[in-house]
Amino acid sequence: MKILEIDQLRVSFPVVGGVLRRKTAEVKAVDGVTFALEQGETLGLVGESGCGKSTVGRAIVNILRAMVYGVEISGSILYRHGSTSVDLAQLSREKMRPYRPDIQMIFQDPYSSLNPRMTVGQIVEEPLKIHTRLTSRERKDRVNLLLEKVGFAGEQGNRYPHEFSGGQRQRIGIARALATNPKIVIADEPVSALDVSIQAQVINLMRDLQDEFGLSYIFIAHDLSVVRHISDRIAVMYLGHLVEIGPGELIYKNPMHPYSRALLSAVPRPDPFVKRERRIQLTGDVPNPIRKPSGCAFRTRCPIAKPSCADAVPPLEFKEGRWVACPWV
Amino acid sequence: MNASLTPILQIRNLKTYFQTEAGIAKAVDGVDFDVFPGEVVGLVGESGSGKSVTALSILRLIPSPPGKIADGSILFQGRNLLELPWPEIRAIRGKEISMIFQEPMTSLNPVFTIGMQMTESVLAHEHVSRKAAFDRSVEMLELVGIPDPPSRMNDYPHQFSGGMRQRVMIAMALSCNPSVLIADEPTTALDVTIQAQILELMLRIKDRRKDAAILLITHNLAVVAETCHRVIVMYGGRIQEIAPVQELFRNPLHPYTRGLLASVPAVDGERRERLPAIPGNVPSIFDLPVGCKFETRCKERLERCAQIEPSILEVSPGHWVRCHLVNP
Repeated sequence: MKILEIDQLRVSFPVVGGVLRRKTAEVKAVDGVTFALEQGETLGLVGESGCGKSTVGRAIVNILRAMVYGVEISGSILYRHGSTSVDLAQLSREKMRPYRPDIQMIFQDPYSSLNPRMTVGQIVEEPLKIHTRLTSRERKDRVNLLLEKVGFAGEQGNRYPHEFSGGQRQRIGIARALATNPKIVIADEPVSALDVSIQAQVINLMRDLQDEFGLSYIFIAHDLSVVRHISDRIAVMYLGHLVEIGPGELIYKNPMHPYSRALLSAVPRPDPFVKRERRIQLTGDVPNPIRKPSGCAFRTRCPIAKPSCADAVPPLEFKEGRWVACPWV
Repeated sequence: MNASLTPILQIRNLKTYFQTEAGIAKAVDGVDFDVFPGEVVGLVGESGSGKSVTALSILRLIPSPPGKIADGSILFQGRNLLELPWPEIRAIRGKEISMIFQEPMTSLNPVFTIGMQMTESVLAHEHVSRKAAFDRSVEMLELVGIPDPPSRMNDYPHQFSGGMRQRVMIAMALSCNPSVLIADEPTTALDVTIQAQILELMLRIKDRRKDAAILLITHNLAVVAETCHRVIVMYGGRIQEIAPVQELFRNPLHPYTRGLLASVPAVDGERRERLPAIPGNVPSIFDLPVGCKFETRCKERLERCAQIEPSILEVSPGHWVRCHLVNP
């Protein structure tokens, strides 16, 4: 069952300038993105900085309007619950509130995303105070249960975030996200601030919790090896566009879009014996998103670009088990 | 590695401590290693392992107070860097030994143009005219792949992207042709396609001078596998294992190295159901175990590990391990 269906999502941020702070340009951070999230699956959203992957995540939890004044959002984000569905894209703050418990977020930085003046127990309890009518006693029990699930002993709930390491703090963030029994969890670079040996712990924990609570994850990250490990399906983004989406193993073994190929070939391999076929070297940087190339956004760095690539944004086509936005592969 | 070569950098019993309110933090506690001409050495470890402090100690960039190099020696071309007066250290920094930092935004001064900052470092070290320094800088920018260097010399750091700024840092670090380049997580803040470009660039430029060496500090074992000749693994302020790169990946002997290698997810091969994680957390620097620093997280712990720290042993040529298991 599709729990989330995103159709032609567009998000543009205003660029303001001058003394009057007038809007002088706009950044199309997400430019017509369509995909669905299946119940119980993990969708890995990958791409380089500025590709719009975090913006997609934030659009789903509907916090963009609170974050950026003048942001424009179009398209739809259908969230199915029970037999009804609701379009989250256009909901006001008030109308969104009933759905917030169902869609939670885990953030990248375990230092700035926890209030330093609250105890760990209070941090995990707060969503329960806002979204449930549990009594104080019931809330305490639930907090203890959640902290236990993420590997904390009972009395540690009375301590403050600064007393814990990065990996432990990320566990606190996970417990808080799970407090309201969400259906969907958006994890935005949840392990990229952690040490390698700790990353593995947190990823394993997220998988265990997914099985136990039937969660659906959108896992946003730039580290392709971590994403592969946790994801069932992969979506590759470049400059606001989805360029390839499909089963993870298929894309990792045989990426088709020239950008996916370059991205995967650039990942360093932890094996000094493999003499690798030459990397697909991309020249230059990602273009400025304010002046995005016409047509296919990747054509300025693409090794197989043709003049006609400048004409129109290539649509996603179904090829060899996955969807690819390139007519030449 | 040719054993008859004399090391270009010889670090012995380096101890760098920080005096804090919570007590003395022994960030680096007795580190010995050599760097030979022409090689790329990887210094690997997690946060708090002491790898960056080791690098900063080499150039005496430890803020003091609270930091202090408590003991040891760092021999470079026969001179002990730890005993040199400041003017001589300044003459070595950026000329003989250069450093690249992780964050290219904070290591460039935002109020001066790239050109000013680049020519300044050349003029500080060499008796050349301003014109010659400018030309050298343009040439370096060209070498690191910045398009249209003469006009970019007038731009400010914020006008460059992250990858371009890191290129500028590399150009600046290499403009005096140093014999040692210390790169502290040079690609950690960059995207993976840019990371590949920068690593290749560093190695290519190093090859211009055959006897130059790179000390690459990183937490990324895949980067190490692709770029380094030798690897030094640090944990808890101590070196735990040193080995040539192929030997380390084929035959890791320290349980920490083994755990670290196992916990890296791969992009090729079969996907594993679960990642083998190293249990527990990195111990607090104020509360390091008295015995082996890894003892609290080690699955193969022996009884004596908690009391007696093993000494580092050469188990095969060039492969050193600090673990009781290899010396039962």
